[in-house]
Amino acid sequence: MKKRSSGERLSQSIIVIFMLLLCLSVLYPFAYMLAISLNEGTDAAKGGVYLWPRAFTLINYEIVLGNEVIQRAYLITIARTVLGTIAGLLITLMVAFGLSYQRVPFRKSILSYILITMLFNGGLVPLYIQLYNLGLINNFLVYIIPGMFSVWNMFVMLKFIQGIPEALIESAELDGAGPFRILIQIIAPLSKPMLAAIGLFIAVGHWNDWFAGAFYVTKQDLIPVQTFLQQLLSAQDMSAILGSNSNQEALARGSQMKNVTLMSVKMATVMVSAIPILCVYPFLQKYFVKGVLIGSVKG
Amino acid sequence: MMASLYKYRWQYVMIFPAILLLFLFNYVPMAGIQIAFRDFQIGSSIWDSAWVGWQNFSFLQEPQFWTVVKNTLFISVLKFVFGFPAPIILALMINELVHAGFKRFVQSVSYLPHFFSWIVVAYILQSFLTLDGGLANDLITRMGGEPIFFLGSESWFRPMIVSSGLWKEVGWNTILYLAAISAIDPQLYEAATVEGAGKRAQIRHVTLPGIMPTVSIVLILSIPSLIAVGMDQIYPLMNPANMQVADVLDTYVLRSGLQQGYFGMATAIGLLSSVISLVLVVVTNQISRKLNGEGLW
Repeated sequence: MKKRSSGERLSQSIIVIFMLLLCLSVLYPFAYMLAISLNEGTDAAKGGVYLWPRAFTLINYEIVLGNEVIQRAYLITIARTVLGTIAGLLITLMVAFGLSYQRVPFRKSILSYILITMLFNGGLVPLYIQLYNLGLINNFLVYIIPGMFSVWNMFVMLKFIQGIPEALIESAELDGAGPFRILIQIIAPLSKPMLAAIGLFIAVGHWNDWFAGAFYVTKQDLIPVQTFLQQLLSAQDMSAILGSNSNQEALARGSQMKNVTLMSVKMATVMVSAIPILCVYPFLQKYFVKGVLIGSVKG
Repeated sequence: MMASLYKYRWQYVMIFPAILLLFLFNYVPMAGIQIAFRDFQIGSSIWDSAWVGWQNFSFLQEPQFWTVVKNTLFISVLKFVFGFPAPIILALMINELVHAGFKRFVQSVSYLPHFFSWIVVAYILQSFLTLDGGLANDLITRMGGEPIFFLGSESWFRPMIVSSGLWKEVGWNTILYLAAISAIDPQLYEAATVEGAGKRAQIRHVTLPGIMPTVSIVLILSIPSLIAVGMDQIYPLMNPANMQVADVLDTYVLRSGLQQGYFGMATAIGLLSSVISLVLVVVTNQISRKLNGEGLW
């Protein structure tokens, strides 16, 4: 290691301090919201709860997790994330593999047909009307079907498949394997890292989407967690959370209810929606980075 | 030809879902653009609705529409001015970090917000900025100041959007630049050191030129999306108090179209912005062809 000049050491420490501040700005909000959500609401509203709960309670979480609307929203979110990710991956892999055959007749035309949709679209209203005509409004399938095929993901996958040595496919063909067999037995296993990366992007997209639930669905029992949060964001009183549920009475009977504020319950709700991502993130990080890097390579 | 089609029949089976889905959810809605020129009500057929010509474009004469256009441009330009250079600067700084473990830690933490929805970001803002017990006002009042209603204020809306956007995406956007930096030949740095170049000179003469191709690609790719400022980000933070500066094209279409039922007008506005972004894409592509010798297509 070469000796560093004092000037370099100074700039190094400035950068380190700046980076620490950056990390703090990311991590602190979650610590703060966690502290508020674990504090008695009326006490937190007095201010001064910055890092640790002052009057510790689990009542906010009891309200959130005991709420039937939220439980239902969770089920919807989990169902759409699982189904949507599986369906999306299946179609992405299949289409990309089909298009990886250079000699498919009309391949160029099909690619242009796909590319045009990246340049121009009908906009929100015609899409809404089409969803309406197809009976997808107020239908769980609106979360799955319209977004099942992503041109971007397909191109990333195509790029990856084109990097697989052709000799592998040719030798399988000589052994008499058809394209579907090659896809399942050769391409899919070799594409695991890419499938993991794309699958994670799709899954995060489903987990975080609030738009479809807010505008394509009016039935309250079909909305996902993020849409529930979006509705709750501007709520002015507790009935937004407790209105439709039986634990209102139960809580009112308990004396703790008076210590609960809208803010503390909101913070508990948002923590409940964010914690799954916070938990899986450290394990999945490397796939995310791999995904964005392969995706960025110009095709 | 027939033989070749038959030979590749299974490939067609694989490609078919994409063709069908794009047809249903992209091409049919493209045909639906004619709603912009018709008097359409939901439940009736597009083809039977009366043709009204340019009548739906009367929004062009409304001052409210031009406020929306101004807001859209204002926010997109601000987001671009701050959002474009920030990840480059951050990448250069991360690259300077000597301690490998700390470097990895900073990277991991800085990408994290990318994986939360804008709704969660809106809650973070609310928890910090709200009037009753929010951290910011808590501190302001402790220091003897007057509490500020950040969330319902016209003057705080744009700074709030720009800074939260920066916070959420800056780390994520460094990934490409860091990859580009790591691809630079280390011999160039050695040569520069031999010639007596200090850290700053190395950044200027080796690192920056090394990542220039990446910078220009990101620049080109970001231009077409300029007018599509994140409705995902803005809608959750919009309220009657900040509406006058918060309403952008996307949210305007959403409200007038889906919420108030002016389908013709909302489609017309959507059409206008689609055409503008198409023009931006084509122009950008031409420029990129001239400068780099190759375009995006």
